[in-house]
Amino acid sequence: MMRIRVLTVTLTATAALLAACGYDATPLPEPQEAAASSAPPAATPVECDNATQSYSPANDKAAALKQLINKGRLVVGVSGDTYKMGFTDPTDGELKGFDVAFAQEIATALGVDLELRVILASDRIKMLDEGQIDMVARNMTVNCDRWTQVAFSSVYYNATQKVLVGTDEAAKYTGPASLAGKRVCAPTATTSVANIKKIEPDVIAVEAANHTGCLIKFQNSEVDAITGDDTVLAGLAAQDPYTAVPQQEKLTDEPYGLAFNKDDVALVKFANSVLDQMRADGRWAGIYDEWLKPTLKVDATPPAPVYGR
Amino acid sequence: MSQTATPASAPPPAAAPASAPTPATPAAAAAAAAQPGSSYVDTPALLNRWQLIGMSVVIVFGIVSALMQFVGWQSDGRAADDTEQLLRVQEVKTSLLRADALATNAFLEGGLEDPAQRKEYDDAIDGVLADIAAAAEAQPADREALAALNVEVTDYTTGVAQGRDNNRQNFPIGAEYLATASADLRASALPILDELVEANQQRAEDAMNGQHPVWLFLLGVVILAALVWLNRELARHFRRRINKGIAVAAAIVLVVTLVTVAGAWIRDSSNDSLREGEFATAVHEANARTAGNNAKAFESLRLIKRGSGSINEPRWELAAKDVADSGTRETGAWDAYTKVHQQIVELDDAGDWDQARKLAIEESGAAFQPFDDATRTAVEKNGAAATDDLRSGRWFALLLSGLTLLLGVAAGLSVARGIGERRREFS
Repeated sequence: MMRIRVLTVTLTATAALLAACGYDATPLPEPQEAAASSAPPAATPVECDNATQSYSPANDKAAALKQLINKGRLVVGVSGDTYKMGFTDPTDGELKGFDVAFAQEIATALGVDLELRVILASDRIKMLDEGQIDMVARNMTVNCDRWTQVAFSSVYYNATQKVLVGTDEAAKYTGPASLAGKRVCAPTATTSVANIKKIEPDVIAVEAANHTGCLIKFQNSEVDAITGDDTVLAGLAAQDPYTAVPQQEKLTDEPYGLAFNKDDVALVKFANSVLDQMRADGRWAGIYDEWLKPTLKVDATPPAPVYGR
Repeated sequence: MSQTATPASAPPPAAAPASAPTPATPAAAAAAAAQPGSSYVDTPALLNRWQLIGMSVVIVFGIVSALMQFVGWQSDGRAADDTEQLLRVQEVKTSLLRADALATNAFLEGGLEDPAQRKEYDDAIDGVLADIAAAAEAQPADREALAALNVEVTDYTTGVAQGRDNNRQNFPIGAEYLATASADLRASALPILDELVEANQQRAEDAMNGQHPVWLFLLGVVILAALVWLNRELARHFRRRINKGIAVAAAIVLVVTLVTVAGAWIRDSSNDSLREGEFATAVHEANARTAGNNAKAFESLRLIKRGSGSINEPRWELAAKDVADSGTRETGAWDAYTKVHQQIVELDDAGDWDQARKLAIEESGAAFQPFDDATRTAVEKNGAAATDDLRSGRWFALLLSGLTLLLGVAAGLSVARGIGERRREFS
């Protein structure tokens, strides 16, 4: 009896020892909490009646050159993925587009090299403010709020905010009311979705880093529509035959201006003089015809400048 | 059958009082045993009990000692398996980052992909998938994590494929697919791989600590003390100071203890030097290679997203610091690459993106290759040396474990025989 007990104890100890040799399952990383929206809380919009009003043009190149961050170089923040506006051409890796062409014209007029930096829409004001770039040519809308932070050139293009949907929804689209309960994507830190929500509060806002990120979400069925400037949406639609920008009323006007540090008034004045020349000598129309007309499919004339600031 | 010890029929017990009364019948013996202060001793029962205790002690010694050696044998095998698994998951991590570096570089060049580079990317992904399957087969505890990793790798390769497809149609969304896949790879797949690396490194190091010479020594000492006690008890009851059977059993226990302690100590020392030597080198070089490929991908990403130096250069520097901190011996090859990288940074920061890109395409890859090759070779060489060493001589440990069990039984029989002799003398 005793022997059996000893044997049992020994076997139990053996089993316990062998059991201790097992492995614990490799833990999986803790799922990260979804990052909170980086969009700042909506502040009271700054009211003004001269948002599109810029500084009067001046051809003082020397004064403008003095305001460049780097001698002999104009550093311009552009988009790298907004097809036809500012994008990296996959065939040669070069940055091209409507906005890039304007940046090149300003650099050429200044007689300096052009350095392009791909920036996010959310970094435009910060990078100007911190002196990382001289100018932004990235489909940036002129408004009263932004005038408190940066200085704008005269308006170089009048865009409008619209909505892109799937081709199967395009015929049924009648306006923002059609988006009730739908997921609508816009880049982080833009006011595009807020503009729609004012009209149709039941819109579900979804953010992406940029408009191309929104198109990826659309292609992956994570959103039902994308809102943004007609120029940008036309570029997105050109990359996906299953999307369309249906006939619709514009949601807002989006006048584009070249943005500068708010203290670089001489640079703004010089840019305005270059833009005036481009409007007059047909270079503006040439750039429009090359980059935007094929996708927007309408003729356009350069916006009339407003000065007096 | 119980017998009653009498001074006439047995050697006088050393400790038993000579004047002990002798009950005439079992009933009387029971009555006497019940009386306090009775000096009656049931010698055969006592001998039976001692025999049982002695046999059990040495057999338990045989079993426990053999088991400890078996566990040590198993540990060395597990350490080798865990080391292989660790290097396998490290290889998965490196291959993924290598694939990402190749994919981003292809996008940087623009136009059609270089077929050789494309093949290298495909080979890296094929290697990743094969290694994940092999790792899941090798370590069931990793399966859940590897299944999650598999999903992330599939998402990554899908993203790159979508990027490539769009790129071929000259759509800029292709670059966005690539950037998203690249970012998701780092955000979702790498943390899983980090857990796998950490878990397997811990397992390998724990398993290398599976030899227990001190326990074996203490076990031997305890068993020898028990045998000495048993011999002393016998000596107190019988005239012979040393019981031959117990002495033989004690000798067996002593020899087995000395041999097994020496064996375990040698193995333990060998594992210690392995942990600090080839194993550590393999881990360091694998860490260096992973971090190096991570840095290389950031170099391409800074140029793809033109002007993103302020974002991607700190990431490159962090990865470069990981290379430096890894303890790699391939610092010469790494420094050669970093010189080219610094030129790229200077050109890009000065606004000469075209030249920076040219340098990245034409020279950076070639400068990085020797580092990648050297660290890979070091990982393979040291990893193989570590696992070979852990597996070498294991047959001897297993043989010794089996032998210990048999010797435990033999010692048990010796104790039985030794005490049996006393019983025969008594009867």
